[in-house]
Amino acid sequence: MTSAPTLHAAGIHKSYGGVRALRGVDLELKPGEIHGLLGENGSGKSTLLKILAGQLAPDRGRLMLEGSEVRFADASRAMAAGIATVTQETTLVRELSVAENIFLGPRKARRPWGIDWRRTRAEAVELLERLGLDIDPATAAGRLRPDQQQMVEIARALSIVARVVILDEPTSSLPDDQVASLFEAVRSLRAHGVAVVFVSHRMSEIFDLVDRVTILRDGLVVGGGAIAEFDRARLIHLMIGRELEELDIPERPARQTAGAGLRLRSFNVPGRVRDVDLAVEPGEIVGLAGLVGSGRSSLLDGIFGLERGASGIVEIDGRTARIRDPLSAIRAGLGYVPADRKTRGLVLDMSVQANLLMAQSCRRVRLRRPRRAAEERTVADAVRRFRIVSDSAAAPVARLSGGNQQKVVLAKWLATEPRMLLLDEPTRGVDVGAKAEIYRTLAAIKDSGVGVLVSSSETPELLLLCDRILVMYRGRIVAELSRADATESRIMHYGMGHE
Amino acid sequence: MSDAETDPAIRRRRVEAVRAGTGRAGRAAFKLRFLAVLILFVAVFVFFALTQQRFFTSGNIDALLTSGSILWMVALGLTFVMLTGGFDLSLGSLLALSGIAMGVFMTQWGIPVGWAMAMTVAFGVLVGGLGNGVLIGKVGLPFLVVTLGTLTLYGGLVNLWSQEVTTQVPSATLTALAFNNALGVPISVWVMVGVWLVALYVQRSTYFGRDVYAVGGSADAAQLSGVRVSRTLIAVYAIAGGLAGVAGVLQVARIGASSPQVGGTVIFDAAAAVLLGGTSFSGGIGGVGGTAIGVLFLATLQNGLSVSGVADYWQQIVSGGILIVVVTLDRVQRGGLAGVRIRRTRPGSPRPSETAPSANPPPD
Repeated sequence: MTSAPTLHAAGIHKSYGGVRALRGVDLELKPGEIHGLLGENGSGKSTLLKILAGQLAPDRGRLMLEGSEVRFADASRAMAAGIATVTQETTLVRELSVAENIFLGPRKARRPWGIDWRRTRAEAVELLERLGLDIDPATAAGRLRPDQQQMVEIARALSIVARVVILDEPTSSLPDDQVASLFEAVRSLRAHGVAVVFVSHRMSEIFDLVDRVTILRDGLVVGGGAIAEFDRARLIHLMIGRELEELDIPERPARQTAGAGLRLRSFNVPGRVRDVDLAVEPGEIVGLAGLVGSGRSSLLDGIFGLERGASGIVEIDGRTARIRDPLSAIRAGLGYVPADRKTRGLVLDMSVQANLLMAQSCRRVRLRRPRRAAEERTVADAVRRFRIVSDSAAAPVARLSGGNQQKVVLAKWLATEPRMLLLDEPTRGVDVGAKAEIYRTLAAIKDSGVGVLVSSSETPELLLLCDRILVMYRGRIVAELSRADATESRIMHYGMGHE
Repeated sequence: MSDAETDPAIRRRRVEAVRAGTGRAGRAAFKLRFLAVLILFVAVFVFFALTQQRFFTSGNIDALLTSGSILWMVALGLTFVMLTGGFDLSLGSLLALSGIAMGVFMTQWGIPVGWAMAMTVAFGVLVGGLGNGVLIGKVGLPFLVVTLGTLTLYGGLVNLWSQEVTTQVPSATLTALAFNNALGVPISVWVMVGVWLVALYVQRSTYFGRDVYAVGGSADAAQLSGVRVSRTLIAVYAIAGGLAGVAGVLQVARIGASSPQVGGTVIFDAAAAVLLGGTSFSGGIGGVGGTAIGVLFLATLQNGLSVSGVADYWQQIVSGGILIVVVTLDRVQRGGLAGVRIRRTRPGSPRPSETAPSANPPPD
């Protein structure tokens, strides 16, 4: 580690209007290192990444690429200089092949009369091999698994002879097993001497993968160094500027109310979910674990009336519920927090208030005039109870941080006074502090006697929250683990389909 | 809580949100375009009033308003459709078809004029709701394909039903509707104001109005929250059809006949008026308040230019140019020229308002 830094950002300042997002930040990326960049929402992390990637120009400060100062007019210049960014949302064109995607843009091997497809393909194969990937370059990108898509993006980054690769939350929508294969690819980047910037809200990944860290808070670097010098508590302390209270969610006492809660009998969604029987008692949190594609999301969609052809018996509080669509599901006492908060959980253009009231008012006659006073009371209660940080209830929900948006979704459903909540990836893309608040909210929901069925790719989350964990594999529930029996390795074991 | 303390952007955003008032999100952006067009409207109006002696006379103002009445109805209906993120190309044909229906009701079936008017509007509601509405809302076909089809289909039905002949529809009531005053104001202007107030009420003060915005913002999220998306879509196409029916009645009244040759390009003027009024093509933002200004602006421009003796084609060039300039300015104001800068976009998700205004820090 004696070599000069690949990329050195020195004294970076950036303001938006009167808001100072970065106030003199230094960051050094050495060749062949994986550098963790940590910080809560609003710490200036994204701004810094955008400056490194040439998407924003700093107000003050310098960028030194291998010793010489650089200024990027736009992102394509930064890319040409060897700085590539991979974000959680893939930018692949689904209809094009992997090889075409890797060489999208002006970088295809050319001949005077057109594109040299044979060479393009050969180069794609070589890149994929360098990353140790077993992907056919002729496959359409849209048919790959999410982790494979991420890795094709990394291959694309490599194709420009990358010196710096920025990975902005690449794992937030990947299940554990796919994270492992992504990490392999990242390590092979490191082996090739590339400097990697890695951003993740998952602490365990930081300790698994990175060599050094830099921690940002309020636009300043508040700590950094070799990862070995840090432990989890110290990192979190630096990020949020205070201790995070450890949360202990009490296990639900033995069942008192047989027959109450949610009960599924031989529930099927064609091609996705097979013969699922499950029960969730009032005040119980039941977890759904399993790989992406194991049928967890389809099961929740199915229960909520969103899957055509779903069959089976759904009972709520002992009564059979006939659920044809979300409206009848809501009437039966269900609420659903979907994984995709931005397009399915919320209407981003609408205000916090409108989103909070949307589900609650679904039973009203449509040509009626809403009662503003009662509605404002509901909204004020929800904002206070869930500690939603927003400028005002009239602000567009798009302006809120991920954690606060998720609290709005939860509050929206609790306003309907549901018997049972279905949650899919409740803390995806949410930072450490907000995550803890969401857990606390779920504990309070549990206390109030509402049953919760929560599906998550983050096993530690399930272990923290759940009274019981059901493991799904290929559309079936293959194991049920009590809180005492559940461990990360057991869940992984069953989730991979082992007996 | 940590967010409020650590994020310096919160304070600034708070100020902005207070300015945005207590309404729906996106309204700030909507208001901007609305205000720009309002100012343009006043400026153009004052300009013509000062330069053209024949412009600011009660006769000409009445003519200006009543000649805009048909566009007014179509644009109001189209606003609801566009708020859901859709479009209805067939409204011009449906206007003509309603006019023919009106003529048939009165001259062939001998139905009294009052009933014939009500039946014509009901006819528009039914055709709009059962045709476009069901195909788009229930069957789930793309709105451009469906309304392109019905545009042609209704056009054919107009010719079939009328035998391509204009039929006189003599009625004192209809003549009065088109040309008489009540309390010093043309009756058709009273109708315009009445319909507009009802539309404004439905949009702002009913659950249905909220559904329209929710469906336009994200149909998935709306459905998941228990909004009946199909029903909402059927309703907006029915409303647009009904108002095309009203426009058809006004058209018959104005020319005293049911003619197969009406309604031609009204849909393009209506789209321009709705866009000028601040409603976005992608849905979820805007409203009938802005559309009223959009129609008045276009009507004033056309009237003023023709009073000034400027050729027709200049009116087209000016109103087309202004539409593009206003929408461009609005876009620059909101987030820079997004298409010009290289920006990573997520498949499917971003609407213009999701990319924060350039003065705001990007969310981390």
